[in-house]
Amino acid sequence: MTNTAADLIADISDSLAAVLPEQRWFAGKDRPIRAVLPVRATDLAGSDPRLIHAVVEVDQGESYRDRYQLMLGVRSDLPEFLGHAWVAACGDHAVYQAVHDPELTAVLLDLMARGVEVDGLGFATEPGVTLDTEQRSRPVGAEQSNTSLVYGQTYILKLFRKLAAGRSPDLELHRALTAVGCKHIAALLGSIEGALGADPVTYGMMSEFLRSAAEGWAMATASVRDLLADNQVIEGAPGHAQPNDPADAGGDFASEARRLGHAVATVHTDLATALGVSVASRGYLDALAAGMQRRLHRVVSQVAELAPHADVLRAAFDEVRDVDAPVPLQRIHGDLHLGQVLRTVSRWVLIDFEGEPMIPLADRIAPASALRDVAGMLRSFDYAAHHVPLGDADPEIHAAAALAWTTRNQEAFCDGYAQVAADPRKDAALLRAFELDKAIYEVSYEHANRPAWLPIPLAAVARLTS
Amino acid sequence: MPSDDLRAQTLDHQSPSDLEGIPHTGEAVRSDGHLVEPQAKDFEHAKAAPRDPYWYKHAVFYEVLVRAFHDSDCNGTGDLTGLTQKLDYLQWLGVDCLWLPPFYASPLRDGGYDISDYRAVLPEFGTVEDFVVLLDEAHKRGIRVITDLVMNHTSDQHPWFQESRRDPDGPYGDYYVWSDKDTGYADARIIFVDTEGSNWTYDPVRGQFYWHRFFSHQPDLNYENPAVGDAMIDVLRFWLDLGIDGFRLDAVPYLFEQEGTNCENLPRTHEFLKRCRKVVDDEYPDRVLLAEANQWPADVVEYFGDAAVGGDEAHMAFHFPLMPRIFMAVRRESRFPISEILAQTPTIPSGCQWGIFLRNHDELTLEMVTDEERDYMYSEYVKDPRMRANIGIRRRLAPLLDNDRNQLELFTALLLSLPGSPVLYYGDEIGMGDNIWLGDRDSVRTPMQWTPDRNAGFSRCDPGRIYLPVIMDPVYGYQAVNVEAQSTSSQSLLNWTRRMIQVRREHPAFGLGDFTELGCSNPSVLAYLRKYTDDGNDLVICVNNMSRFPQPVELDLSEYQDGVPVELTGGVRFPPIGELPYLLTLPGHGFYWFNIELPTPDVTRDQYRC
Repeated sequence: MTNTAADLIADISDSLAAVLPEQRWFAGKDRPIRAVLPVRATDLAGSDPRLIHAVVEVDQGESYRDRYQLMLGVRSDLPEFLGHAWVAACGDHAVYQAVHDPELTAVLLDLMARGVEVDGLGFATEPGVTLDTEQRSRPVGAEQSNTSLVYGQTYILKLFRKLAAGRSPDLELHRALTAVGCKHIAALLGSIEGALGADPVTYGMMSEFLRSAAEGWAMATASVRDLLADNQVIEGAPGHAQPNDPADAGGDFASEARRLGHAVATVHTDLATALGVSVASRGYLDALAAGMQRRLHRVVSQVAELAPHADVLRAAFDEVRDVDAPVPLQRIHGDLHLGQVLRTVSRWVLIDFEGEPMIPLADRIAPASALRDVAGMLRSFDYAAHHVPLGDADPEIHAAAALAWTTRNQEAFCDGYAQVAADPRKDAALLRAFELDKAIYEVSYEHANRPAWLPIPLAAVARLTS
Repeated sequence: MPSDDLRAQTLDHQSPSDLEGIPHTGEAVRSDGHLVEPQAKDFEHAKAAPRDPYWYKHAVFYEVLVRAFHDSDCNGTGDLTGLTQKLDYLQWLGVDCLWLPPFYASPLRDGGYDISDYRAVLPEFGTVEDFVVLLDEAHKRGIRVITDLVMNHTSDQHPWFQESRRDPDGPYGDYYVWSDKDTGYADARIIFVDTEGSNWTYDPVRGQFYWHRFFSHQPDLNYENPAVGDAMIDVLRFWLDLGIDGFRLDAVPYLFEQEGTNCENLPRTHEFLKRCRKVVDDEYPDRVLLAEANQWPADVVEYFGDAAVGGDEAHMAFHFPLMPRIFMAVRRESRFPISEILAQTPTIPSGCQWGIFLRNHDELTLEMVTDEERDYMYSEYVKDPRMRANIGIRRRLAPLLDNDRNQLELFTALLLSLPGSPVLYYGDEIGMGDNIWLGDRDSVRTPMQWTPDRNAGFSRCDPGRIYLPVIMDPVYGYQAVNVEAQSTSSQSLLNWTRRMIQVRREHPAFGLGDFTELGCSNPSVLAYLRKYTDDGNDLVICVNNMSRFPQPVELDLSEYQDGVPVELTGGVRFPPIGELPYLLTLPGHGFYWFNIELPTPDVTRDQYRC
């Protein structure tokens, strides 16, 4: 076993081509792989087990080739608990996915704690951070586009899989927010950065692991479930056609929604402080409206149910061109919803500032109106309200209860937001346009992927345009 | 209180007539004007309970109202001898310490917290001798007894106050806080907002205003006067000499006043508590002081005193904000109300312990919640305005929880496993109900329900004579809910509670262990580790489902890899802990207590290796 890391990757490229489509984070599942080509490969540790860091390019017959980060382990004798991570045989050694091997992931933590550079891979801690290298890691559950390792119950290392040229906005915004002392993020502890050609690239970021945190989505849906269960009791009583008022429900979420609004506004204010604010030009607003119209045009042609609303929608998007009040532009979260916020014992925390994964990096880091984040959260409340299965509930009462829950928590969120920053409801036309734009994206997505869910965004479109 | 009530009182109230023939304060007056007071040496003393300097850290407390527990002499009112007769029951239940609200001589205008003689027992409850018998019998059964001591104020019927108003220049003239004006200490809040308009009341006898933080018939003692502190220390010694195991010090934050402050938690109040503690430490080992300070935990911690010496004020203090948050957490199906308050609770000195409770003889206190949370609690738990009292809710545990057995068990499991010594309230172990038609806080002070017989077996008196009617409604009435029926049913709440107390006793981690909340992504599940390592290794994991729906939870227990969780009530061994998160599913409002059995290192093999 004397071959170089680069040789080894080249040797197993056929096996990689077979294994990559099975990975959740692999983005090109819809097209066959023609070849997997090594871009770079570096030995990070040892001989047996050996840890190889690699970047590969995947040729899928298009002009642009996606690049992926791989962490590969090599062992002469693969223990049983790593069997599921097997990738290829290479001579009498086994090559496997090293993220499952605590012995090798410890190397990453160690390199970061020491702050060393290995063959252009820069491992570093943030200023003032000391890492405890005794922590063992395990990969956390299924993630869509990255792989995260939790060390002990203390740190979480996010390894980016599909690499974009340019520094990750998640890393960039966490650094900026840390610099201004933002309390509503997980503390940033370290990073793995490097360069591919002329471009900087982010391989990984290490953050504080919030072990006691729960996702906003889980909390919101627990509240909805409580409300709907009470409704089922009431429905059973003769002569009842009124849903329960969510304000009277034991599981009321409004106080949490208010605190969440407060936290989101604080993060927005901190982002503005750290990275500046500008005012949108007329041209910017025209382009924004045009983009919304384009999406509408495309989706209307695909989803017939949207047609009755098309005229009102066009008019709503046109209103964006005529917004009189100055529209501040700043860095925002970019993909904010209840799954991107965590409730810790003391506060709400926003995570994953990567922005919408399907959008090119340049667009993700462009300043935008913070109302886009607000709209994303308002839409998320609507989804949470409708997520809980209907059971044998009366659909009308169910719908009325879900709407009442949505409205109450959207208002509470905006109330909390307005305690810190400008009340988002004051810019009604722009906020509504962002909500509708998001809803139309949802219509398109549900139409293609989950037709049973289509009524949720369609109902929202009808409501927002009535 | 209207002052014309006071006008009616005359000087010969010095010795309240109902203490005739019983040793009491002011039976005689010395030539210097000092009142003669009963002394401990005049009575028998109880034998002490077995030695255990930290007994209060792992004890289960049981609050019992003497009036409400058992009537030995058929006069319709419970008494000390009646309580003594029921000690076998309390020993069977497994409680370690009784907390008796005041049983001192009193005009009973504030449930006995208006003490008119610190050295005499309220005659309808019995005598000091009866109390010594109770102490002695309790100690024989390994049960300790503490009682309330109201140090802040007395009844206006106390001979000290009567002397003070009569003779401003006499030895008691300066025992209370007198002023010509009613404008002092304007920053002090009024506590009983339902009944009191001011903290000052005019006394026509002395022609001055007196200061009172609670009812106007409870004048505050003047701790600026050193003689008052000395007199109170002597009261402590009187009962400690008889053998009492400690005091719950009522309303401690208010002892001293100072202009320009809110007159709460002042440094001199702490100094006086340190002085009381020193008396206990120097002269009465194993006795405890429990501070009642309805304040935020960060302020309450001050009442434990200096952490460097393990605490030098109160041994214990009640954790008030925890209780309403347990109710909120379950109603909201979210662990965060509990997690948040525990995260805000500072660590306490090594020799100290929290007292925690679900319900007590007072209303469910909502002073220690935000306005928003208070509105929420009212809307959730107060179906009728009569259920409200001051800033709180006057209901018992079972009716608060709609008599839902699953929730009753979950709440009790939380009480017995969260950090602190649990305080049970009499009757809650059988799920007694309340009577919201009774005045003030009497709704939760009705007679203990022993049997389905007349007066619930509480008393053999004519039912018309009973101090409060027994609960008679179809759900909570004594014919349905009583000790006799439940003690013979293995599935009863009473037997379940008893079993849980037994389990708690078997594991020092509950009382003495550290508390660590275990993270999990399910917001409805509260999981924590109780870990005691001083003497052996005791690891207990408690997992609680705040939701009415079944919930899954994945716990990261990798620190205890290869350990085996053993469920504590049935002893069932669960699958061993592996490298991956440990998956559990809980039924609605379900909970688990596990002991983690760690693999024992193979010592023999290591020995042979070398």
